[in-house]
Amino acid sequence: MKILLMGHPNVGKSVFFNRLTGAKVFESNYPGTTVDFMRGWMRLEGEDVELIDVPGAFSLEPKDKAEEVAVKMLEENRDSVVVCVLDASKVERGLYLALEIIERGYPVIVALNMWDVAEDKNIRIDVEKLERILGVPVVPTTAISGEGFKELVSKIKEAAPVKIEKIIENAGGGESAAVSG
Amino acid sequence: MEKKLSEMEFDEVGTVKEIAEDLRKQVAGMGIREGKNIRMATKQPIKGPVVVEVDKSFTSLGLGVAEKIVVEVG
Repeated sequence: MKILLMGHPNVGKSVFFNRLTGAKVFESNYPGTTVDFMRGWMRLEGEDVELIDVPGAFSLEPKDKAEEVAVKMLEENRDSVVVCVLDASKVERGLYLALEIIERGYPVIVALNMWDVAEDKNIRIDVEKLERILGVPVVPTTAISGEGFKELVSKIKEAAPVKIEKIIENAGGGESAAVSG
Repeated sequence: MEKKLSEMEFDEVGTVKEIAEDLRKQVAGMGIREGKNIRMATKQPIKGPVVVEVDKSFTSLGLGVAEKIVVEVG
C-alpha cells in the first residue's frame, strides 16, 4: 500500500507531507512549485508506509506539466490510498477533484485543510453530512498547527472505494452533470 | 441580458450560461460551470487576463478563454 497526497496547488500538501513523514523541510512560498515530487515514509499502525507528495492539480484532465505528472502518478499507483487535501475555504472546487479521484475507483480520504482559515472567513462546513454523502472519511485539519492529524491518520485505513452513482444518489439528485462535469 | 464573460464590467455579477464545449472540462476544475454565479474581480488592459470570483475563490482566465464563456447579467 502507498499513500498519495493529492489536491489543488497551494492547499498545504507539502506541509502535510512534512508533518506525516516528520521531514524537517521548510516550505518555499512559490505557488505550484511541487513539479518535482517528494517521497517519504510514515508509520501507520506499526507499519512503514510510503507517502508520495503529488504535484498540485486542479483536475485529472491535465492542462500543464505538473498536472500530467499528477495523473501519471495516480495511474501508476493503482494500489494506493489517496489523501485528497482540500482548501476548506474553497471546498466546492476542491471537491471536484476529489470526486474525479473517487470516480476512478481509488479509496479516498478527504482532508479539509486550512480549517482555521475557513473559520476566520466564517465558512461553516457540515463535515458529517459531507461524509454521509461521499461515503468516505472527511477530516478537518490545520496542517501548520497539526490539528486533526491524529484523526486523519487513524482514519486512513477506513478509506474504501465508493461508486460515483452512490454519491449522486446520496446527494439526492439525478443532477449528474454537477458531479461528472 | 447575455454577454461574453470577457465583456463584463469590473465588479459586475452574472450567472454562467454557456461554456464552449472544448473548454468545459478545462474550467470545471476551477469551479466554473454552467449555473454558477460569477463576479468580475479584475480586468487587465491590452488583452490581458481577467480575474473572476466564483464561490469565494478567485480564478484568472485568459481573455481567449473568457470570450468563450457566456454569462447572463442584470
